[in-house]
Amino acid sequence: MMSLYLYAIYNGLVLGLAIFLVSSGLTLAFGIMKIFNFAHGAFFMVGAYTAYALTGQEASSLFVFLGAALVAALLIGFVGVIADFAVFRRLAGVPAEYTLMAAFGILLLSNGVSKIAFGQAVHTVYPPEALSAFLDVGIPVSVYGLFIIGAGIVVFLALEVGLNRLWFGKLVLAVARDPWMANVAGLRVQRLKLFSVVLAFALAGLAGGLLVANQALSLDLGHSYLLYAFCVVIVGGLGSIRGAFIASILFGLAESLNAVVLPSLPGIATYSLLIILVLIRPQGLYPELSQ
Amino acid sequence: MKLAARLSLAVLLVAFLLAPFLVHPGLVFIAGFAMIQIVFALSWNLLFSYAGLVSFGHAAFFGIGAYVSAVALRYGWHINFLLIPPISAVLGAAAAFLVAIVVLRRANGIQFSVLTLALSQLVVVLIGYSEYLGHDEGISAIPRPVINLGIATLDLNNPLASYYFVIVIGLIAIALIWLVVHGPIGRTMQAVRIDPERAAFVGIDVWRLRVVAFTLSGGFAALAGSLLAPWAQIVHPDYVNWLASAQPLFATLLGGAGFFWGPVVGVLGLAWLNYAMRTFVGLSEIMIGASLLVVVLLAPQGILGALRDAVRRRRGKVAGEHR
Amino acid sequence: MILDAQNIEMSYGQLKVLHGVSLQVEEGQTFAIIGPNGAGKTTLFKVLTGERMASAGTVSFRGQDVSKLPAFKRARLGFGRTFQVARIFTELDLLTNVVIPIEARIRASGKSPGHWWSWEPSREVRAEAEDILERLGFPRQRWEDEAQYLSHGDRKRLEFCVALATRPGILMLDEPTAGMSPSDRREMTRFLARFKAETGITIVMTEHDMDLIFELADRLMVLNYGEVIAVGEPAAVRDDPMVREVYLGKGGQHA
Repeated sequence: MMSLYLYAIYNGLVLGLAIFLVSSGLTLAFGIMKIFNFAHGAFFMVGAYTAYALTGQEASSLFVFLGAALVAALLIGFVGVIADFAVFRRLAGVPAEYTLMAAFGILLLSNGVSKIAFGQAVHTVYPPEALSAFLDVGIPVSVYGLFIIGAGIVVFLALEVGLNRLWFGKLVLAVARDPWMANVAGLRVQRLKLFSVVLAFALAGLAGGLLVANQALSLDLGHSYLLYAFCVVIVGGLGSIRGAFIASILFGLAESLNAVVLPSLPGIATYSLLIILVLIRPQGLYPELSQ
Repeated sequence: MKLAARLSLAVLLVAFLLAPFLVHPGLVFIAGFAMIQIVFALSWNLLFSYAGLVSFGHAAFFGIGAYVSAVALRYGWHINFLLIPPISAVLGAAAAFLVAIVVLRRANGIQFSVLTLALSQLVVVLIGYSEYLGHDEGISAIPRPVINLGIATLDLNNPLASYYFVIVIGLIAIALIWLVVHGPIGRTMQAVRIDPERAAFVGIDVWRLRVVAFTLSGGFAALAGSLLAPWAQIVHPDYVNWLASAQPLFATLLGGAGFFWGPVVGVLGLAWLNYAMRTFVGLSEIMIGASLLVVVLLAPQGILGALRDAVRRRRGKVAGEHR
Repeated sequence: MILDAQNIEMSYGQLKVLHGVSLQVEEGQTFAIIGPNGAGKTTLFKVLTGERMASAGTVSFRGQDVSKLPAFKRARLGFGRTFQVARIFTELDLLTNVVIPIEARIRASGKSPGHWWSWEPSREVRAEAEDILERLGFPRQRWEDEAQYLSHGDRKRLEFCVALATRPGILMLDEPTAGMSPSDRREMTRFLARFKAETGITIVMTEHDMDLIFELADRLMVLNYGEVIAVGEPAAVRDDPMVREVYLGKGGQHA
């Protein structure tokens, strides 16, 4: 019995860090550009498909696997730039509903294009040889799962250190907090915003590339992760990486334990947790960048 | 301009009324479906343009109406079906009221919107657990009722009868929403939307008004949903999820949120796009996605807004008067 | 005494903005609050009208403690308010701008302002709104104009109509002549003087325009750094050496 719970906790951590990988870009997009990027799920999905296209059903080596994820990140980052120039930049002073609608328009566009380009078949993808083993420590621990946990932690640390300690990151945060002031202080606001957009979208693509072997690859991939990501961004505090990290783990654990404790009621933990947390603390765990 | 608008509305009304005699049954089905979506979108816009609240979970109330109606028909409740739409509306309004008094105390703006999203997804999940409600497949093979009107019976198995049933109830709903919006309640709502603080300083209880708006909106959404069951003869959780909740938002913004009839134009536009692209996989999503982007970037006031601007520009050029 | 504020203290986080401010306003008086920028005038105003709750202290209106009441409840008790930058219902026409507060007032008194199904305001409501607009110099042909196209001075006048429509017992005017041209200011001063004489209404205002104050105010209070440094008849306050120092001694803040 104990081992079942241990396994659920392990699974929860894997899911949680996977959610974090997806939400990191969304958090950044919202915190820096105030964009409620519905299209984030679509870009995550396209990133996954891109990596799949490069590696095939099983990447020939860990190096290839990581390389494909990186290529996906760069590609999606590039797409993000186009989206920013064509759409988001023009919606600076406009009420939030319109940005939302634009993001949704982009989502539908990419869904439609993906349907035509990738077809509606479901593909199974396997992790590369180096990550496909299972460790037996009382519970079956997949190396790939450990990889995801590790990747999530690495991304978190990179973002935390990068944004809070490195001078460049601090500039990005300054622009997020007060664009007008940043402009007055001589910062190249537009350039920094562009960098932020690229980073946010690239993270989506990276997440897609890293997580592609985690489940069956289909066009619906974006949707479930997107909903998790939204829950995380709200609970964590709009724009807070730290908050997103903690919230992701919370939701991952909740979902996983839900499957063990209440197997006949799947999904109830996530939404109940969201509702309770938002009612108790509407501004989020770390409301640093909220208005 | 007003004359042209009234004329267009009249033409639209006539088109809806004469549809079974003008077009083939496939399009008649879409017309009925469009009427249901129109009431749903108008209920959403009641909340959005008149009370200033963005609900991402409105399909939950629509779903309440749809499932109540579906269950009543499928499991043979002995109740005159004429009572089902009003009962659905009351249940939807009650649910909306409960949600409003809990959520509106604590959350505003974006938190409110996300909470509505979460609540509606919770409803989807809860429906999925229930065998009675058909899990994820929903309730299908819903029989159309025979309604006893006392002096006569209305057999909704007759396609004409069921179509006119949907249209007439839809028109009644639209008329009711129109009256609410143009009366004292509507004016107060607009004041709250435009400047909630100013409204408070003239003695308006902003919170109470938002609760009232949400309750009415939920009731009308449920009313629309109750018509879906006998019309489409199937209801499933896809009609209740976040994507379904987004439809009235798109329809309203597409048609023009600042206009009472905006959602109508938007629904018809989306219906046309969906219908025109139906044979091409993926194309409808591309077209709708592109339309949304076009509206947002080029015509944020929607189709009706673009029309109004075009008319104003023409008038300015011709008569030389300035606004 | 119609308005009585006792020991109002207000802090924004660590920053204390008001230190034990008290004021009393008699019925029919015109009470002006002045002080350099940042003295806490606006904050005091917000506390009096219910826009913010004070950290400590009480506010009583006609003997009733309103300290904990939110703004809309105070408005219903009789607080009329105008803002430094006139706030009106921009997308609606002039008539509707005035109809809304009238209907709100009627609803607050427990009656219904009209049938929910009637799409025009009732005859009584409309008549009252038209009367107010006319009295404040808006002719009939302008009533259907959209409020957002009004000039700055007209906006202030419309806002005054909106405040009057609630039949206030006390008018709280936040810098009524802010941003106005000199001729508009004189016009507003004349108007307020006439209005004061005709109705005997109590007015509390913050202002920088000393001419307006000396023309209208019965009592003047000077704030500086959140404290009352003088209160009394305008002429006496003007001659108070501490007040002079605040306004002229410290770099001559423009009053």
